[in-house]
Amino acid sequence: MRKKLFIITAFLSLFSSLIAEEARECIARAAIAKSEKNQGEILNELMGRADDSILPLFDAWRKDRLYLHEPAGAAAIPVLLEGPKDAKGAQEAISVATGKSIGLRLVGDNLNAAGHSANLRRVMKAVLDLTALSSPDRAKKLSALAAIGQGQQAEKLPALERRLPLETDPAVVKALREALALVRLKSPDAEVKLAALRELESLQSLASTDFIKTMQKDPAVLKDPRLVDAARTALLAVERHRVAVDFGGTLFRSLSLGSILVIVALGLAITFGLMGVINMAHGEMIAIGAYTTYVVQNVFANGLALSPFGFSLNIPGMHTTGWWRESYFLFALPLSFLAAAAAGVLLERGVIRFLYRRPLESLLATWGVSLLLQQILKLTFGANNVQVGSPAYLSGNWIVGDVLLGWNRVFVIGFATLIVIGVWLVLSRTSVGLLIRSVTQNRSMAACMGVRTERVNMLTFALGSGLAGLAGAFLSQIGNVGPALGQSYVVDSFMVVVVGGVGDLVGTVISGLGIGTFDQFTQQYSPTVAGIFANVPFIGGGLQNLAQDSAVFGKILVLCAIILFLQWRPSGLFAARSRSLD
Amino acid sequence: MSTTRIASLLSVGALALASLVSPARAEETVKVGVLHSLSGTMAISETSLRDVLLFTFDEINAKGGVLGKKIEPVVVDGASNWPLFAEKAKQLLEQDKVAVTFGCWTSVSRKSVLPVYEKNNGLLFYPVQYEGEEESKNVAYTAEAVNQQATPAVDYLLAQGVKKFYLLGSDYVYPQTTNLVLLEYLLSKGVPLENIGGGFRKDASGKIISAGKYTPFGHTDYQQIVAEIKQFSAGGSAAVVSTLNGDTNVPFFKEYAASGLTAETCPVVSFSISEDEFRGLPADKLVGQLGCWTYFQTLKSPANTKFVADFQAWLGKSTVPGIVKDGRVTCSPMVLSYDGVYLWKACVEKAGSFDVDKVREAWKSGVSFDGPGGKVTTQPNMHLTKNVFIGETKADGQFKILKAFDNVYGEPWLKGKFK
Repeated sequence: MRKKLFIITAFLSLFSSLIAEEARECIARAAIAKSEKNQGEILNELMGRADDSILPLFDAWRKDRLYLHEPAGAAAIPVLLEGPKDAKGAQEAISVATGKSIGLRLVGDNLNAAGHSANLRRVMKAVLDLTALSSPDRAKKLSALAAIGQGQQAEKLPALERRLPLETDPAVVKALREALALVRLKSPDAEVKLAALRELESLQSLASTDFIKTMQKDPAVLKDPRLVDAARTALLAVERHRVAVDFGGTLFRSLSLGSILVIVALGLAITFGLMGVINMAHGEMIAIGAYTTYVVQNVFANGLALSPFGFSLNIPGMHTTGWWRESYFLFALPLSFLAAAAAGVLLERGVIRFLYRRPLESLLATWGVSLLLQQILKLTFGANNVQVGSPAYLSGNWIVGDVLLGWNRVFVIGFATLIVIGVWLVLSRTSVGLLIRSVTQNRSMAACMGVRTERVNMLTFALGSGLAGLAGAFLSQIGNVGPALGQSYVVDSFMVVVVGGVGDLVGTVISGLGIGTFDQFTQQYSPTVAGIFANVPFIGGGLQNLAQDSAVFGKILVLCAIILFLQWRPSGLFAARSRSLD
Repeated sequence: MSTTRIASLLSVGALALASLVSPARAEETVKVGVLHSLSGTMAISETSLRDVLLFTFDEINAKGGVLGKKIEPVVVDGASNWPLFAEKAKQLLEQDKVAVTFGCWTSVSRKSVLPVYEKNNGLLFYPVQYEGEEESKNVAYTAEAVNQQATPAVDYLLAQGVKKFYLLGSDYVYPQTTNLVLLEYLLSKGVPLENIGGGFRKDASGKIISAGKYTPFGHTDYQQIVAEIKQFSAGGSAAVVSTLNGDTNVPFFKEYAASGLTAETCPVVSFSISEDEFRGLPADKLVGQLGCWTYFQTLKSPANTKFVADFQAWLGKSTVPGIVKDGRVTCSPMVLSYDGVYLWKACVEKAGSFDVDKVREAWKSGVSFDGPGGKVTTQPNMHLTKNVFIGETKADGQFKILKAFDNVYGEPWLKGKFK
């Protein structure tokens, strides 16, 4: 038994080494071939071959590092130069054909590199595309399949067909079928074309639109009513699918924008909503959270040199690598909460506690604090934006039925849910929550009952600021981290809280999600809606032009809707009714 | 201490200060204006230009100045405030009587100072890529015209087999005008209208008055736009032509990367991201994306090596208050500022005078300078002939040069030119 196995493995290794030898030889032969056409033909022989030697050799060739050693009176030998350079700049010459040294040391600058034209590079790419088909990496496989489909080269069909029975992963199978159908669209045979169109129709392939449309213009196709018909139905099916994908995508994007708004506004819902402090420095609490994430990231890496106010401050790094470094974000979350909460306590103790019954003064004072904090951030971290990287587990995406779900967005949605539940539990199920609610509802009465209102105020403000800090940590994953970060979110936060109804967390959640949804849906569908009115005199054209900048148009519509909404319900969605608030 | 004593001390101090500040003697120097934003939103970019200008003046002064006179810079702060730019320009021309001004970054600041320079017959050297459709005898445009950046980039993409173009930009005059020119250019190259993405705006007669998708400064939510690009590029051979400005690039590219789009599946060529901008951008998210400028720091030429080394050495020794010394790079607008000073010097020397009209005549007759980005030559239309390079972003925020177009003639009037 063991012997048998041994023979099989020996045979297999011999077999694979034979192929490897051949690929090398093939490339060596191509490198010294006379004409470019010849070269292309030789390289075409490699099509569909999975061989590890191909990629590095092609890579060297494309980067002009595949040299030709031309001994006088003999045929040129394609070589690679490897190993350390000696004093003369010479390196060990490795023959491309054998992969072994030819026993010479050569200087790269003195040799001619094997030439390559755009056409040849294209052939190389085609060969590499097909080698990627047998790659174990799923993402590589999928992108190779997409590229092959888009290339529509008939010569790749056999390799694809061979691959089809081997694949089991449904996503890969789908991509493979799509690629096959796209390549077959180019077939001269009407029957094959027809089958390909039916296949694309059943696959609802978004990528195929352009190719089917190009095909529709082909005079040969126009003559065949069956093809015209099949192309039309295929396009219709794809279009229907696109509408569904757009809708699903918009829904997801609404949820993600809504979650961001909720996270950003939740802190303010506490400091402004519950405590009644018009906290203009809310944005800077967000920025503090984001900068904390930045500092944590650098501490996990190589440390950070800062020069606040001209002093030099060196924060040592932990020089972590791999998964440890990636996990910095999980540590940054609680730390950004704590940092912002601490800043909140300082702000409350230093400024706000003197202004509890004077909302206008608190507005001006916190605005001043906001400017101050911005300048401090600027002086500490510089006026430029700083860079916060996304850990690997936040930078990928899922594709569900062609709807793209970015992991960072999914994470934001999930975490927003957790935070909201957490805050709700704290406020409604803990004794601290009870105290907070009693103080915010009626400060004097709570004080009479023996509640230390000063301390509760401080804690509440710290909680609100800490939540803003958490929001900052998230925002670092999707946007800029700079001194002005808070500025761009403070208005949104107030908007969400006011629409939600001051004093109610449920209102904030619903209004955040609602505004996010409204914004994304107007962005997605305002051009379509404007299209319907296109032929209406006077306003039709103007409406379309407005809707063209849907990002801005969405924002404008959101603001208009909010103004109208507040006319109807001046105290927001959920008005807190209490005699003490009147 | 008696009040008189304090007063006398003060006056002595003031005298000492005055003697320190005032130049040795007026005949030996020539006043040159530097008009950039040193505060406000544009300060990050424009301060680099001030730095390189001061460096260039020092370099020229060390070699004897211009026509035997040392350059005396008059630095004023436009503060990212466009009306203030006009006031400062007026001050430079009417009070300080500068021989020439180097300045402005945004097109709106240039448009704002233009009447001042035309009224006083001053001369402004403008170094940053712009939208064209302008040609004033009082402005020397060392900047890239649209045909020295946008159209070569599109040529490159077309040669790479790109068939579909998505136009995306920040909402102001430069992206809007550039994209209109690009639209005409693409149509003239046989790219059908349906292959140009981002949408169009039309006037009442159905004529396209704006092409592409625009977002305001400071926009953060690019989800929908990226989803649109994802669908646009689903069939392959598509590219994004981006004139997004400043830090809106960060949320855009983060979203772009998260959606699985890469430089291989759908490259982005950005006209507003140079080496200097990478000081505030995540370069690792942009690896492989394209840039098109008349200079890259990675250019291999003795002139460039010397320029980069000299500038770094100057930065190390510089005593300019608040100057940033760490992580500095050189980029195209900086080099065009540098080239501008030397071209002005060459024109002055050719004319034998600082007089604006004579200097302009010298400019129009064609003067050359071998700068860090290669040879630049002045043209009768107040623009420059220069080399154009296409580069690919590397993870360190530098560019790998992919292609060079030599000696491209600067052509400001491009609207309606491509049929």
